[in-house]
Amino acid sequence: MKARRALQALLLCGVVVACLLAPTWAHAADLTVWHAYRGAEEAALREAVDRFAEGRGHRVRLVSVSFGVYDSKLETAIPRGNGPDLFIAAQGNLGKWRRMGLLVPAGDVSGEHRDPAIEALTEGGELWGQPLAFKSLMLIYDPEVIDTPPRTTDELLALSAALTEDGRYGLVYEAGTPFYHAPWMHGFGGAAIDEMGEPTLDTRAQVDALTFAAELAALMPTAPSADRVSSLYTEGRAAMIIDGPWRVADLGRRVAAAPLPLVSPTGEPARPYLTVEAAFVAARGQDPEAAAELASFLSGVDGAQIRQEVGRQAVTASRVVPSDPILQVQLDQAARSEPLPTDPEVQSAWEGLARALRQVLRGTVLPDRAMAAAQQHATVLRRPPPPPANPWPYGIVLALLALAGLGALGYRLRDPDLRRRMLVHAPDYLWIAPAGLAMVVLVVVPFLTGAAVALFAHHQGEWSFVGLAHFIDILLARDWPITSPMSFGFTLVVTVLWTVSNVTLHVVIGVALAMLLREPWVGLRGVWRALLILPWAVPNYITALIWRSLFDAQVGAINAILGLLLLRGEALQIDWFSSFATGFAANLTTNTWLGFPFMMVVTLGALQSIPRDLEEAAEVDGAGAWQRFRHVTWPMLMPALLPAMILGSVWTFNMFNVIYLVSAGEPDGSTEILISEAYRWAFSRGNRYGYAAAYAVLIFLVLLFYSRLANRLAGRKVL
Amino acid sequence: MAGVTLNGLYKRYGSTSVLEGIDLDVEDGEYIVLVGPSGCGKSTLLRCIAGLEEITAGTLEIGGRRVNDLSPRARNVAMVFQSYALYPHMTVRRNMGFALEVARRPKAEIREAVEDVAAMLDLVPLLDRLPGQLSGGQRQRVAMGRAIVRRPDVFLFDEPLSNLDASLRHHMRVELKHLHRRLQTTVFHVTHDQVEALTLADRIVVLHQGVVQQVGTPRELFDRPANTFVGTFIGSPSMALLPAVGAGGTVRIDGLEGELELPGEGAMTLGLRPTDIEVGRGPLRGQIEVIESLGAEALLHLDLGPDRKLVAQVPEPCQAQPGEVVSLLPRVVHRFHAETGERLP
Repeated sequence: MKARRALQALLLCGVVVACLLAPTWAHAADLTVWHAYRGAEEAALREAVDRFAEGRGHRVRLVSVSFGVYDSKLETAIPRGNGPDLFIAAQGNLGKWRRMGLLVPAGDVSGEHRDPAIEALTEGGELWGQPLAFKSLMLIYDPEVIDTPPRTTDELLALSAALTEDGRYGLVYEAGTPFYHAPWMHGFGGAAIDEMGEPTLDTRAQVDALTFAAELAALMPTAPSADRVSSLYTEGRAAMIIDGPWRVADLGRRVAAAPLPLVSPTGEPARPYLTVEAAFVAARGQDPEAAAELASFLSGVDGAQIRQEVGRQAVTASRVVPSDPILQVQLDQAARSEPLPTDPEVQSAWEGLARALRQVLRGTVLPDRAMAAAQQHATVLRRPPPPPANPWPYGIVLALLALAGLGALGYRLRDPDLRRRMLVHAPDYLWIAPAGLAMVVLVVVPFLTGAAVALFAHHQGEWSFVGLAHFIDILLARDWPITSPMSFGFTLVVTVLWTVSNVTLHVVIGVALAMLLREPWVGLRGVWRALLILPWAVPNYITALIWRSLFDAQVGAINAILGLLLLRGEALQIDWFSSFATGFAANLTTNTWLGFPFMMVVTLGALQSIPRDLEEAAEVDGAGAWQRFRHVTWPMLMPALLPAMILGSVWTFNMFNVIYLVSAGEPDGSTEILISEAYRWAFSRGNRYGYAAAYAVLIFLVLLFYSRLANRLAGRKVL
Repeated sequence: MAGVTLNGLYKRYGSTSVLEGIDLDVEDGEYIVLVGPSGCGKSTLLRCIAGLEEITAGTLEIGGRRVNDLSPRARNVAMVFQSYALYPHMTVRRNMGFALEVARRPKAEIREAVEDVAAMLDLVPLLDRLPGQLSGGQRQRVAMGRAIVRRPDVFLFDEPLSNLDASLRHHMRVELKHLHRRLQTTVFHVTHDQVEALTLADRIVVLHQGVVQQVGTPRELFDRPANTFVGTFIGSPSMALLPAVGAGGTVRIDGLEGELELPGEGAMTLGLRPTDIEVGRGPLRGQIEVIESLGAEALLHLDLGPDRKLVAQVPEPCQAQPGEVVSLLPRVVHRFHAETGERLP
């Protein structure tokens, strides 16, 4: 009997393993290509790949990977041998990927491609990908309005001013994004970082470029988003936009294009960042030679022809003649552009530059002050990690703690009664073992790993042990004054304010609605209840995105409704994310919408257990509605509400989605909370995982302290 | 303190009628007990007086003032609920003083009032406990105390004793009587327990299906029930009803031998109370089915003929045996109209 069971178990394991391996076997002979193309570009790639496969007898599998997760998927799959043979990507992460060993060099193709393409893909004297297409910003204009596009920035300013009147604009572009500011930055003679990777944001050229951008922005709607830019053009309300060829298909109107103008004060062309898309042969692929062959085909004349005709790409192959004027302009623009830096250090300059841009466009700070702050910001972010610490003292403390733990355990086990009971209950321990194991694997191990990571610094792929240095830096506000939004103290205050105001609103609204739903004159109670619980049932990131667009300065419903309510006759133009108070209010509104249903449901349940008699008794005792609530209902709701409030505070304290998606920390990171700051440290400020983990440990300690305190205040254990 | 007048009081929930034109005049300081079977509307009537239910039609006056549209707090009435409805999170002291607290009376005054009443009800040692730490009888006294502290014009008691065990109930009944004598406040007391009604009431109001059947002193109700409903409802064990026909000064119970000398002609219903039947002589004969001994007296369950049952109460010790046939003499006979059930003159 036992043997049969074992056999069955073995068979089951075999099936599971086979299922896991099946995908690998099934496609062992194929070439796998990853890409993030959509629409015409995807069709062109498919056609080119098919043409290649026909000729060679290879089977090629195209895998479309979502753009948002493309890089992280590559970075996790390739080192584990699950990655593609070939992938198509822009050169932006070349430096990082090369360092991570994800790439195989591409060999020599000079002469076949236009220079900027080769330049952008060469690092350390080697070419790392087969170039495919150029992408950069250019000037797109409405040929029905403009005959001759401006050749200098002076002409651009003048034309823009002449065409801007009642709801129409001469020029619109995403002025608040560093990528769109880059042409001016370069044209005025600046750069985000120098050859050594040091930020260069406070130079004269940078200030001039920013001053010029502010002049342009004064003629535009405030902080237009990409969608807003497209729709203004489509509606015929913008004569010129600055955007890439990828936007042309969405515009739905006739377009003409021109290279960006010369910067009048310097006489230099405005040079946008150039992205070169390339086919990269992945390390650890099944068949690197076939992959390299496919890459050459896609990149070469035949592949390029298909991509130009079907996918309307500005191809890098020098022997292919552009088939329409817009592609020609894109090629001309590529010749006067800056390759997007592949140095990961450039990330440290982005955040400060973005903040400076938005401050100046909003008119709250002067360009020189803003750029000085941006430089300071970037310098701190670039600062090397703390010096390595001696791990021995930590090891000794850890060992002593472990010994003390073992000692305590051994001491307790000396009790014969306990030993006997443990033996008697041995089967019971087995019963809870699976749950215990799950707890260890899912909770204890990640927690300890996180805590351990906080003792290490991660810098450009290298880890070093730094002990408690991160905690000291964070708590002593070593890099920023305590009043700066970047400091832990500031963010902690904002987080506490955020939590307190949210939970207060959740409870007030939740309890009020629950009380209202109990009133005898309220009809269709079930319908109301379901409707009011709905905000809770919708995934919170969807709600957050909806509220984000409702708070949009130009097309958001909130401004429109406020305009109606205040009888202005038109939508208000409040830029909700331009000040701390309004940005915080927008976050608060969103999270209140998400949070009140929980408190309402808890209250509805708790109200069921309060006998109606009690309120009637209070009514006969002469208590008014408020007194009845205050003295009778509320105290009786507390036992149910208090745990809910503690739980709600912890959720709100760590409510990443709302902050990240609604205000995204705007303005200037002041509305960030601790958890979203931790995220930024880990993922958008040079992958400082150790620093981020230290934030996480501090968050844990704050919440631990809070829940102990709440228990103490409640006078008993509620959680 | 005040009298209460109900004039043509109606209460309806949609198409369901609960109270159908109640007229009642209550003197200041009277102890009124409302009795009736479950669902007769007695609790609803009490809640209408308290202001917890809206009055559909008719008028309610307290102390000569029309209070139909006043909130409970403006009526100056105090209520004791069947569940006592003590606030579980407040001490006995705060429970009792709550009405004064919400009326924003000075702290010292509240303290004094609560302690006076607590002394009256032996609650002083319990003042700082929570209701959850009290026994049923103690909670009942706290509920009473909470009502008394306010010095209301009218007390409303909604089955205040029904959650107590028998001996405690008896004790509290006496205490209630005592309190009323001391306070001399008008009381409306709802119960389904007729013993409570008979012992406590100055006047009893018998309600049935939202209609007042009879209002009167306990004696009047017992001695001269206005109809068969009141006759059977008041008195325990209840009155037996037997159909009969009268002719020429005698009445014969349908299907039985033996005549009773009673006035009245034609069909009627006779009501016979167990206490009014003498066993051992008389015109009626019945066979003893069961003997229930109650200590001082015994109840004989008698079979007079097909469908004709009767209970007689006799003093103990009782010599009769089950199965024995005995003669019976009704000393008092209540006569009711055969169809309407109204008392015949």
